[in-house]
Amino acid sequence: MDRGRRRVLDDVAFEVAPGEIVGLLGPNGAGKTTTLAVLSTLLRPSAGDVRIAGHDLRTDSEGVRRWIGRVPQEIAVYPTMTARDNVRFFARLLRLRTGSDDVLERVGLLERADERVSTYSGGMQRRLNLACGLLGSPPVLLLDEPTVGVDPQSLERIRLAIESHVADGAAVLYTTHQMDEAEQLCDRVVLIDRGRIIAAGTPESLVAGLQPGLRIDVVTEHPLPAGWLGDLHGARELDATEQHGETASSGHVVPVAIAALDLAPSVLKYATRRGTVIEFHIRRPRLYDVFLTLTGRALRD
Amino acid sequence: MSSLATIVAKDIRLLLRDRPALIFILVAPIIVICVAGFSLASLYGTTPAGGTAYVLPIVDEDGGELARRIEQQLVDGAAEGTSVRVQLLRSRAEAERLVHDKRAGSALVIPEGTRAALAAGKPARLLLYTDPVKYLERLNVHLRVLEAMDALAAEQQARAVEELNAQRRRLRAQLDELATSAARLRTQIESAEREAQELREQTTRAVNAEATRLQQAVTTQIDAELNGLETRVNRAIAARVDALREPAAAWLDSLQQTRRDFDAWFAELQRRAGRRAEDIPPPPVFPKPPPELLEALDESPPPVELPERFEIHFEPSLAGLPPIPSPEPIELMLPDVALPAPATPAAMPAIEEISAGGGPVTMNTFDQNVPGFSVTFLLLGMLFGVSLGLLDERDWGTLDRVRALPVPAGNILIGKLVSRFAVGVVQMILLFAVGYALFGISLGPQPWALFLPIAGIAFAGTAFGLIVAVLARSRDAVLPLGSIAIVTMAAIGGCWWPIDLEPQWMQRVALAFPTSWTMEAFNDLMIRRRGPEAALVPTAVLLAFGALYLAIGLVLFRRWIARPA
Repeated sequence: MDRGRRRVLDDVAFEVAPGEIVGLLGPNGAGKTTTLAVLSTLLRPSAGDVRIAGHDLRTDSEGVRRWIGRVPQEIAVYPTMTARDNVRFFARLLRLRTGSDDVLERVGLLERADERVSTYSGGMQRRLNLACGLLGSPPVLLLDEPTVGVDPQSLERIRLAIESHVADGAAVLYTTHQMDEAEQLCDRVVLIDRGRIIAAGTPESLVAGLQPGLRIDVVTEHPLPAGWLGDLHGARELDATEQHGETASSGHVVPVAIAALDLAPSVLKYATRRGTVIEFHIRRPRLYDVFLTLTGRALRD
Repeated sequence: MSSLATIVAKDIRLLLRDRPALIFILVAPIIVICVAGFSLASLYGTTPAGGTAYVLPIVDEDGGELARRIEQQLVDGAAEGTSVRVQLLRSRAEAERLVHDKRAGSALVIPEGTRAALAAGKPARLLLYTDPVKYLERLNVHLRVLEAMDALAAEQQARAVEELNAQRRRLRAQLDELATSAARLRTQIESAEREAQELREQTTRAVNAEATRLQQAVTTQIDAELNGLETRVNRAIAARVDALREPAAAWLDSLQQTRRDFDAWFAELQRRAGRRAEDIPPPPVFPKPPPELLEALDESPPPVELPERFEIHFEPSLAGLPPIPSPEPIELMLPDVALPAPATPAAMPAIEEISAGGGPVTMNTFDQNVPGFSVTFLLLGMLFGVSLGLLDERDWGTLDRVRALPVPAGNILIGKLVSRFAVGVVQMILLFAVGYALFGISLGPQPWALFLPIAGIAFAGTAFGLIVAVLARSRDAVLPLGSIAIVTMAAIGGCWWPIDLEPQWMQRVALAFPTSWTMEAFNDLMIRRRGPEAALVPTAVLLAFGALYLAIGLVLFRRWIARPA
């Protein structure tokens, strides 16, 4: 897939089976949204084959559109209309006579369905965004970061709605930057960077393949100077801005990857030499760590 | 088709819930129309709602009649919608002060003697104090005064014409009467000629008869008289002779005696003279009576003899009578009287304005402003409805969401354009209805014909909105790009003022804009009061503009839609 002279997707190949949620992960600009745009028939691929439910996207895009449900990254609803009007509008375009209230019920908006969307909270708008994508129970659901900025309650409702939809046999492609979310929700993940797939598999298999295998987050009163770990073998400092997991209520988190648990005291020792350690946490690596490991720490803005 | 209807309904619903947009496309134009209509009313020389007429102070130094007539003309003009109201002042200084103090743009002074000068056929002039800064007011007032003067002149000319025509009619009647009289006279003369001829002949006969009769009578009478006269003369002569004979004989006797006495006396005398007797001369000798006398006294006078008969002959000659003239046949050739031609104004022709299309000469300012600003706001509405609408939908993601649905690709765009087209048509109809209800604008002889340019500009405007949407890279770029284009098109196209105010080159440039064709159609239908046929060409051009815009817009839209927001 080219955009101008730039190749934005290159040799991206994966499958999503019915009843399966596949997470499409990658840093900003990796090609996730472009991939979804191609699958949504919004962009025409310059090469390659895309088949959805047997329909060739290049030759039968309308057939493809009958099978897919799309939940874009933005809140793609009409803010001056009510939720019910929005859902009914999209339902009419899908030639659905019923089901509007059902999807509103599934995302927990039925009671406030007659309020203008512009008066909704961010979480409600996200749920409505999902509801519109669930109209007609599409066998293929394409979700582009559907939970950005939502509170845990909305997140939970969205997750339940997606899982319910998958339980009905839908194939779901799910992009997100929330690694925890992907780890919990996705059966498989596809890591994509610079338009190419760099890893694919279940979250567990990806985490299992990551070395070193443990992390220790050291919380200090002040930032530690560069090179504070010195030449400690088996330990590697991670980018503090990309720290993930439990966070400290105060102080500065310094994440460090360690090859084995017995390196933890050495790391703490090095840290106390250069600063005041408030607390520390030792944990196993997660998908987030896989992501950072595979895509690097450089900013992609 | 149902998806198209759904998209159309959605867009209309979005609009109905967008109060600012509704205000913009309906209330804002009405406000602007009001402001522009009332503000620019004087530009058109009319008095919308009767509130903004110019005040023209008039000072009458001439005594009233002329001023009254001018005032009446201006008042009549004001009643017809022209823009001058009259205010009578008492002095020229007061008028000048009003203009000087900027309380009036012009003031008219009718100097003393004006009317008399005009009546005498001498030049006269009125004084108009003006403020050069108030150009339009000066122009309007000047024009109205000229119109009033024209009207007065026309009135006077009409009266003169009427009088001349009346004179002409009277003269014609007199000529006709003269011709009739002449014909009658001719008949009479001919009749008299005949009668005179007959009378002449009768007279001749009578005179001849009378002459004969008189001749006989006179002859008889003279004969009788002569006979009697002869007798009486002879008798008289005899009597006279007899009467003279005795005294004559006595006188002769006496004369004889006297002579004897004288001889005796003389002899005595000589005797007594004695010796001296010889010295006495002999006495004169008395003549002897002539013997004829003595004979006449002895004889009777011979009788007078008259001729036995006088022959009197009357031969009256009528040749001396003047012949009865035979009048020449009277040809009723009336003198070629140069009747004045049917009077027509000559010296100062009054200007009678006639609208070429049969419509009114003057126009309601809102006949220009309502369609003009309606078109402007229609296009601005398209800017918001189509251009911003598309950008909003792209930014919201709804456009892509709909594109990803099993809906014919064209329906998405067509639905939006159709909805905005419908909204534009309704917007125009509502604004025209408001204009009709509030400002009494003309809807032309066949109001339905207004739908033609309305549909044309709504179509062209909708397609133009699409072009702006796809050319503008963002919502922020729409307003400067679109509004500049629309404001330019509206201004140059004659939406804000009559296009005739623009120079010729700009009017030619305006042909490249749909606005000028729209206004051309509206002006034809509403102001010139022409039929629907007048709107056909402009509407066809508008549709062509729309088709061109749409074709360009669709080509650009394909690229635009693939561009990331």
